[in-house]
Amino acid sequence: MSGNGSRVPFDAFFLPAAGGERFCIFHPANGAPLGSVLYVHPFAEEMNKSRRMAALQARAFCRRGYNVLQIDLLGCGDSSGDFGDARWNAWNDDVALAADWLARHAEGPVHLWGLRLGALLALDHLRQAGRSFAGLLLWQPVISGAQFMTQFLRLRLGSEMLSGAAAGSGTEQLRAQLAAGRALEIAGYELTPQLASAIERLDLAALPPENVPSHWFEVNAEGKPSPGLRRAGQTWSSAGAEVELHAVRGEPFWSSVEPCECAELIGATCDTLSLAHA
Amino acid sequence: MIDQVRTIVDSALQLRGRLGASDGATALLGAIPELDSMAVVSLITALEEHFGFTVADDEIEAATFATLGSLADFVQHKLDA
Repeated sequence: MSGNGSRVPFDAFFLPAAGGERFCIFHPANGAPLGSVLYVHPFAEEMNKSRRMAALQARAFCRRGYNVLQIDLLGCGDSSGDFGDARWNAWNDDVALAADWLARHAEGPVHLWGLRLGALLALDHLRQAGRSFAGLLLWQPVISGAQFMTQFLRLRLGSEMLSGAAAGSGTEQLRAQLAAGRALEIAGYELTPQLASAIERLDLAALPPENVPSHWFEVNAEGKPSPGLRRAGQTWSSAGAEVELHAVRGEPFWSSVEPCECAELIGATCDTLSLAHA
Repeated sequence: MIDQVRTIVDSALQLRGRLGASDGATALLGAIPELDSMAVVSLITALEEHFGFTVADDEIEAATFATLGSLADFVQHKLDA
């Protein structure tokens, strides 16, 4: 299957993997490739909401001379399994699988590009992988896995939170159910205790990579890095990691109700990648 | 603080500037149709991520979201804590 028309052509295929297959899209670079970018998608509904931005960015990378590989992780998108089958380690293996595929099918340096929780998965992978990457492009990285889980659990509470009833039935109680080994249905996704506990432990500040330059991109109304991300960046710098923060004006496309795009983010990300190879 | 909170409310609810030059007395919950229970969840998330604090379950009550001023006071309280 290939795209056509004025768009950059792409190839969609299934990679054999543990428990079935993973759906992948490979966007070949225009002209001789300068390198490749491996996309690590965000969590649950954020993955769906950011599909369009991921596709736009992938095409923009191609125009700048980079291949892009997108992989749907186990239990996500068009890959095998249900969300309830997903485990953090399996997702780590999927990133490795995609990186192996790139090593076999594309030449040049490989950059990891992660969005939201995908940024933490890319970082966690970097710690465990024997493979080296040329750089990290992190879009709106999740700062705290525990806070991210709280935010996800709140989706199930909704109006209960405002009624004051949340004290007895809030996120703490949902966490207790997970701790007791029960999976939870949240916004149409089955959250297992195994996946939740792995995510709870993640902390952006504690995952500085060694010898891999990182660029963080934040999208917000002010176009300035937020205090939360600045603090995490300072922790990385103190640990000796090479990290640069970029902020652009825009709306939170990964979570917004109305679909939106952020051309400024795509431009800034392309420029950063091009500079890395200048 | 009011300005920062107004910007975050506008962005999280995609109001596209509709709050205009609102002040602390501007009503939010019940006055802005976009601010339903799920939008409250998004708004809390946006505030947590911007300021880097964590909101506990028992800190969330309707009165906090009554006006722009009450929300800004809450944020200030969290930052001072």
